[in-house]
Amino acid sequence: MDFYLGLAQVIGIHSLLGLSAWCVLHTGQVSLAQGGFFAIGAYTAGVLTSMWGWPLALALAVGALLAAAVAVAVGFPALRVKGLMLVVATTAFAEIVRLVFFNFTWRVQTPAGPVGPDGSLGFGGIRYFPANGWTTLEVCLLIWALVSAVLLVLWWLDRSRVGTLWRAVGEDELAAQSAGINLTAAKVSAFGIGGAIAGLAGGVFAHYATHIEHNNFSILLATFAIAYPIIGGLSSLAGTILAVIFIQGFLLEGLRFIGDWRSLMFGVLIVVVMLVRPGGFLNQSLGVSLGLRRGGSPNKAGSIGKGGTHA
Amino acid sequence: MLELRNLSRHFGGVKAVDQLDLTVRRGEILGLIGPNGSGKSTTVNLITGVYLPTAGDVVFQGQDISKLAPHQRCELGLARTFQNIRLFGHLTVWQNLWAARMVRERGWAGFKERWLSGANAAREQAEELLVFGDLAHKRDMLAGNLAFGEQRRLELIRAAASGAELLLLDEPAAGMNAEEIEDLDNRIRSLRDQGRTILLIEHHMELVMEVCDRVAVLNFGRKIAEGTPAQVQQDAQVRAAYLGTDETAAT
Amino acid sequence: MDLMDFIDLTQSLIDGVLFGTTYSLIGIGFTLIFGVMHKINLSYAAASIGAAYLSLILVSLVPAPIVYLGAALLGGLLGWMVYLICFRYLPLNNPLAALMSTVGMLLAIEELISHMTMGMPQNYPALFASTNIEIGQFFLRGDLIFVFVLGCAAMVGLTLLLKRTRLGLATRAVAQQPVAAQLCGMGVNATNANTFIIAGFLGGTAGAMAGAAIGVLSPLMTLPLTVKGLVVTVIGGLGSIPGAIVAGLIVGGAENLFQFLRGVSERDIYVMLMLFAFLVFRPGGLFAAPGGRD
Repeated sequence: MDFYLGLAQVIGIHSLLGLSAWCVLHTGQVSLAQGGFFAIGAYTAGVLTSMWGWPLALALAVGALLAAAVAVAVGFPALRVKGLMLVVATTAFAEIVRLVFFNFTWRVQTPAGPVGPDGSLGFGGIRYFPANGWTTLEVCLLIWALVSAVLLVLWWLDRSRVGTLWRAVGEDELAAQSAGINLTAAKVSAFGIGGAIAGLAGGVFAHYATHIEHNNFSILLATFAIAYPIIGGLSSLAGTILAVIFIQGFLLEGLRFIGDWRSLMFGVLIVVVMLVRPGGFLNQSLGVSLGLRRGGSPNKAGSIGKGGTHA
Repeated sequence: MLELRNLSRHFGGVKAVDQLDLTVRRGEILGLIGPNGSGKSTTVNLITGVYLPTAGDVVFQGQDISKLAPHQRCELGLARTFQNIRLFGHLTVWQNLWAARMVRERGWAGFKERWLSGANAAREQAEELLVFGDLAHKRDMLAGNLAFGEQRRLELIRAAASGAELLLLDEPAAGMNAEEIEDLDNRIRSLRDQGRTILLIEHHMELVMEVCDRVAVLNFGRKIAEGTPAQVQQDAQVRAAYLGTDETAAT
Repeated sequence: MDLMDFIDLTQSLIDGVLFGTTYSLIGIGFTLIFGVMHKINLSYAAASIGAAYLSLILVSLVPAPIVYLGAALLGGLLGWMVYLICFRYLPLNNPLAALMSTVGMLLAIEELISHMTMGMPQNYPALFASTNIEIGQFFLRGDLIFVFVLGCAAMVGLTLLLKRTRLGLATRAVAQQPVAAQLCGMGVNATNANTFIIAGFLGGTAGAMAGAAIGVLSPLMTLPLTVKGLVVTVIGGLGSIPGAIVAGLIVGGAENLFQFLRGVSERDIYVMLMLFAFLVFRPGGLFAAPGGRD
């Protein structure tokens, strides 16, 4: 039973990551920075509860807010570039965050011994859950409560004017600009909200894992984060969750059958899925033309015409 | 209403627009014509802010907008359509209009309009435009699925939806048959009669001569003629630009 | 700092610049593929290291230079395979799918390497490792010089290929106007495949050079090489080969400089910050490809 609860927990956290990437991808930006915000949320929340004794809810909230603030700060300059340059910029940012935490040491004395981030050794002793008697089930429920809340918020946003604005920007930046939409505001807001969600996920992750280190926040994590919405189909929130369940379920269950080869199979799996269903599972792919053209010139509405792209 | 003063835009050695002086008067329909490569599209892009000028100014309603971003110019009342249709293909017809409408609902004025006078005022105007464009029955259809003529109409009303006082229409008649062009003619007139000013870039001479109050002609980035349609048709330089001089004229 | 420190600093810098040709080659590879397909191939660096690994098969059979050649050829082969799997059959207007596919490829290659070698680093043959040239107070490491020369040769070869041969012409034509190129009788798929093969050849060379300079090959090299390669591509300017060359040398030198000043664990932070500086002040890159837009 514990095994399945553990699986559910991992799926939950990765769902949050996927949803965070969904926001950003919706405006047509490919960002590999989610790992960085995840890390910021994780370390912040961890520090707040284990070193300063804050309550969990507050620590999570502050972690998310801090991640959002950094996202907005980084977003303004970074989102001025498009396509490949944005990918590299966000990658660079995430690497900076990872390396900063790799070198970050700050310990305080507690009755139980020194606690705090310890450079390359990571940050152990985030013992809020065990210390306060949370069972695995309760942690799992918390994670999924958060996922549901985030899903609700994003669903509501998508249906509101914000969602229309985001999607318009994702469809055709030139047309959106000419229709009076402030591109930077739209992109930065999506980036910020994505950052908050990733930060929230990080905070929860830190507590459930009790020990975090820089390796947890590599670029690979960010590629997983964008994999979920892409494989799940960009235009639907449910698709992202489905993709997480599918992929994480495969990876963890696959451990039983193919053992150590599962990461390799995962890579192969992604390739196969993209060949078979490039628009994602729940198709009706948002014709997100990312401006991945030389010099970052505005995209052309290549997918517009009679018929569109529909499954 | 709109003034281009000594406007130039160079791309490396190419002078796409060269010391252009142009005035668009309030309430008129001004046509901008010229052979291919004469700088018409560049001019539109300079006016809307996609390009920044190498020299010169763009002045709109007395305000120098030369350095403003495109969305800021739209806020001030400038809107455009595109030569190759740029609709939000995966949004519905209604959402396309709505996205453009939102520029009017910013700030305090926008807040009042949305909540105090009821979201109805904005909605009503958008609904009116939908009817004007004969697209009311397709409001929930994805824009990418519309027929070509319908897409062109949507481009038109979307530009109007942003509440613009000056509409820049970039070759709206491209690819249309005679019937559709006549329809377009009427719509342009209606839009003007509703209180807007129109700058029309076109190749279809009949449409231009029919609907425009005045016409300006570009060649190699410079203005070579300006006047009423009749005057421009008689102008020797214009004829040379389009038909060539005696040595090369076919007729 | 005193003279000794300054000499050490310069020494570091020189070593870095010499190694930087490796980054240049990876950067060129990324830029080539991006320039032609307008898509990113994130698995490129991994394939390059993979090619070097494969060339290990030859180690006990042939002398070192042939091993390097082997790596280059295998790189070309791998490049072609990546093209077939990740790009050939994917719809053109879906760059996300291609991106994701290359990510999958990256994962697969890295894992495959880890499995085949049990995660143990493998020794890679170096040439001129024990030769050093002394110029005044500075040592120029023989193996690094060799790597540098090899890199330069590859770049010269590439330039000649692009500028003087029909294949190169076709590549550039397809990059600029795929439809028109087709109408002129150039097979787009064949040309794209060739571009991947050429890029793969360069990548294999780069993988071999990295192995030769460091002395070992390890799967841990793939991710840093990918990141550094992307950084080089962006700093140099998307689609610009001269840019990638210069940027590679800059990144190589800067890397060692920062390492000398702040140590290994902080070095990459500054390299990334340098990238950000470029993005803010010169987003088009060193040699921006001609655009005409603001």
